[in-house]
Amino acid sequence: MLKKFFYSQKIAPYVFILPFVITVLLFWVAPISNGVLLSFQDVLKDEWVGTKNYSRLLSDKNFFKAIFNSVKYMIGTLVLLIPFPMLFASLLNSKLMKRSGLFKSIYFLPALTSVVVAGTIFRLMFGEASSSLANQVIGLFGASPIKWLKGVNTSYFALLLIACWRWTGVNILYFLAGLQSIPTDLYEAASIDGASKWQQFKKISVPLIKPTTVYVLTISIYAGLSMFLESYMVFKGNNSPNNIGLTIVGYLYRQGIEKRAMGYACAVGLILLVVVMLINLVQLKITGTFDKEEK
Amino acid sequence: MKSKKIHDRYATIAMTILFIILAIMIILPIYALFIASFKPGGDLLQYGLNLNLNLERWSLDNYILLFAGKHEYWLWFLNSIILTVISVLSTLAVSAFVGYGFAAYSFKGQNVMFVIVLIILSIPLEVVMLPLYKQMSTWGLMDNYLSVILPFMANASTIFFFRQYLLGIPKSLLEAGRIDGATEYGIFFRLVVPIMKPAFAAMAILNGMSAWNNYLWPLLVIRSSSKYTLTLGLNTLINPYGDNYSLLIVGSFFSIIPIFILFVCFQKYFIEGMTAGAVKG
Amino acid sequence: MKKMEEGKMKKKVLSVVLSLAMTATLFGCGNSSTNTSTKGPGAAGTTEMEVEGEDVTTLNVWTFIELHQKFYTDMAEKWNEEHPDQKVKLVLSNMAYDDMHNKLSLALESGEGAPDIVDIELGKFPSFLQGDIGLRDLTDVMAPYKDKVVQARLDIYSKDGKYYGLPTHVGATVAFYNTELLEAAGINYEEIKTWDDFKNAGVKYFEATGKYFATIETTAQWMINLMLAQKGGGYLDASGNLDINNDKMVEVLTYIKGMQDTGAFSVVPGGQPDNEEAYPSYNTGEYAVQIMPFWQTSRFLNYMTDLSGKVAIAPTPVWNTSDNEFKSIGGGGTGTAIIASGENADLAAQVMAYIKLSAEANEEVWNVLGFDPVNTEVWANTQLTQNPENQFVKYFKNYPFDSLNAIKDNIGTIGDMSNEKWPSINNEFCTVTLNNIFENGMDVKEALDESQATLENEFQ
Repeated sequence: MLKKFFYSQKIAPYVFILPFVITVLLFWVAPISNGVLLSFQDVLKDEWVGTKNYSRLLSDKNFFKAIFNSVKYMIGTLVLLIPFPMLFASLLNSKLMKRSGLFKSIYFLPALTSVVVAGTIFRLMFGEASSSLANQVIGLFGASPIKWLKGVNTSYFALLLIACWRWTGVNILYFLAGLQSIPTDLYEAASIDGASKWQQFKKISVPLIKPTTVYVLTISIYAGLSMFLESYMVFKGNNSPNNIGLTIVGYLYRQGIEKRAMGYACAVGLILLVVVMLINLVQLKITGTFDKEEK
Repeated sequence: MKSKKIHDRYATIAMTILFIILAIMIILPIYALFIASFKPGGDLLQYGLNLNLNLERWSLDNYILLFAGKHEYWLWFLNSIILTVISVLSTLAVSAFVGYGFAAYSFKGQNVMFVIVLIILSIPLEVVMLPLYKQMSTWGLMDNYLSVILPFMANASTIFFFRQYLLGIPKSLLEAGRIDGATEYGIFFRLVVPIMKPAFAAMAILNGMSAWNNYLWPLLVIRSSSKYTLTLGLNTLINPYGDNYSLLIVGSFFSIIPIFILFVCFQKYFIEGMTAGAVKG
Repeated sequence: MKKMEEGKMKKKVLSVVLSLAMTATLFGCGNSSTNTSTKGPGAAGTTEMEVEGEDVTTLNVWTFIELHQKFYTDMAEKWNEEHPDQKVKLVLSNMAYDDMHNKLSLALESGEGAPDIVDIELGKFPSFLQGDIGLRDLTDVMAPYKDKVVQARLDIYSKDGKYYGLPTHVGATVAFYNTELLEAAGINYEEIKTWDDFKNAGVKYFEATGKYFATIETTAQWMINLMLAQKGGGYLDASGNLDINNDKMVEVLTYIKGMQDTGAFSVVPGGQPDNEEAYPSYNTGEYAVQIMPFWQTSRFLNYMTDLSGKVAIAPTPVWNTSDNEFKSIGGGGTGTAIIASGENADLAAQVMAYIKLSAEANEEVWNVLGFDPVNTEVWANTQLTQNPENQFVKYFKNYPFDSLNAIKDNIGTIGDMSNEKWPSINNEFCTVTLNNIFENGMDVKEALDESQATLENEFQ
């Protein structure tokens, strides 16, 4: 009887999604509820403090700085890591391009290096000394050495460069996958109609790979907002001049672990959860993912 | 016709030049690392990371240190491989199972659950890491690989991907299975899993990369250095009180090689899997 | 959907990959097994002492300075020789600086996974003295050594009259002069007595060479703290409240700002002299002078090899030679602490007190590590401190301990460092305040007010 129930077509879907439900309950719902409780406590002193953690948060400049930095970084990566890889992918996909396999492998190489390694390489490259690689390069154009990792904009540049270095190749592969599913006769027809390559790219490739673009967009938002290790490695720790490298996760880590203010950190985490969720919902709305699912 | 050929010729050359420049930029840091791996680690402190060859300073000392020195590099390497393989296999298995549930059936509550998948998809686990840490500690899972693997097993983005991929399989295939008397689960394991191979390859690479690179969460829950992964271990070599750049540089460089080989083998299936998956939307 | 051919191909690739993974695993395995069997200090990670005998107590030690591992095992072997009935076996794990402290705090919080013995850095120490203190009071085991040790270095690891950390060194702040460069510019470092002399010498040097004299610090406060302590200033008021925008602080930072304005002083790459980016700048003569704790000797020896034979150590300048100002303060440090809940906490405390405070240990602190030992009896032992075979004696132009003995009786401290607010204050200074003043040109008072407000919000 039980067996029949378990094997019925009605029950089977619930069995299939059960692992996900359990995961959500254990690793999302439970910690979030726990976090809500902790956020009203001073964990170290083991006492209830009411809304003190939240009121402190409102006047915490570094908290807002962390959100600002993470969002800024995310936007930067979206601007750089979606259009360019898309363009490169369609060029690589062109019949005119030979040995594209070699290039794909080379471009993917950075994604295989550990962030610990990549961050260290870039930290050393962006050193302040005039002999550092970055300063040598700008020296070729007659510029004097820059303290790359101390300025807001220059360090932003460095972090974005790491992101581009690591992810351009991966995103190219995503877009290549999207492009390869477009039937070639579409391009042929367009070509006969006299459409230029650029027009073909704009009118055929871009609209038809939209699902891929949405996927890349979603995981890029995720990656952008959760960035921590890149900053941690480039600034050689969780501290950066004027907190220019402080990210959402970095701030959680600083408060919860480094400063042992677990209760406060939980309050921070919950607010961040709301912020991230909002960004996420806006994205899903704009890209129309919801509409499609509801149909 | 002839002019078009010449035109195409120019286009090929221009594109090749563009991609070669891009390739050089991408290889440059790895090249710098390669050169540095032959020079004494202290040189990095004295002269910085640069592209100067300085052949007279080259030696195999770092490689000798890597292969014959007293350190835990290989243990970390092994840990990373074990952890990555287990994480990837379990994530693929569980997520495919769930993804199939979403793709093959319509059931009550499906939309709600799927919206939850979409929401969780882009929320970093780190946001809840502190209460989760306390929870793991209460469960006695500290310093245990289970606490590294479990939270990521039913991975939202992998589930999403598998669902998209499986939406493309013809329903008639499933019906045929049912007519042949296969159970719901039999259909999944015998009919569906085999055609998911390209999707598995694509997700294996992506999940493998993130498991290999996972840092913050393992840092919190793993205590003993004998359980460190390569990422955690390499970072212990950077230290305000005496950096061990010799091992760091050569170890870093060496750690790229095996994964690169795996990637080259898998690359074709990666694109194939992605093509059949996310694209269908 | 897919062609058969491809399916076969896939299987082939999969088997290749699997066998690759297998070889990698076996390969890794073979190596790691040989590794775990090796004894003695390794390049990184865990080290286990080899101790013979039956009744040996195993003690887990966490360090973040690899050099300490060898030192601890050497000294533990001496302990075992002298105490055959209380033999110990140290199992040492070396971790990254931040990781180790964070892991310790997590372990103490959750009550499991902590080691028996741990090295805690000075800047992090106060955060372990909050709430329920998880560290053992070491007053009893210190007693036999206490009167020979610089008191200020015990105080920094104390709270409410109880001592929780065993110091490694004094870290007396001294001046390191590159004599070759200074002589070429016509400057005699021995004539620099006050900060005004120091500043003027800088200007003269800069005019003669076009190169920088010394650094302005933005990521550390070695010179700032010294100047502040000499004025009797600090970071907190008398009742322990946050007071970083006090007049003395403003005076000191404004004075340093004045140094920067002359053009002869500039922020060194890395923001402080003990930084991997700064070493090359000193090594190549871009900067000539460092005001640093004594332990910088080991950095000179290892990272500034081209300066061998050129650097002289001297007492630091003071504000006014006629005032009885501190001639130096202790800077930096590592306090070795014992986890109170450890099964063998008492034995661990005794062993570590011996390893860190006994005269034998302190001689080794100088010989091996090049630090200024806390047991000042050692300072007077010229056989040791002027040993021509010693690598540090060889490196420096004058005898390193000459300066130490000259300032011996007037080494102060900034007491606020043992306050639980210190880690946050220090963090704010090294990331925000000093950067605002010396990199972004913000007004001194304004920058301090801003940081005061940030910190007040945190401590509310």
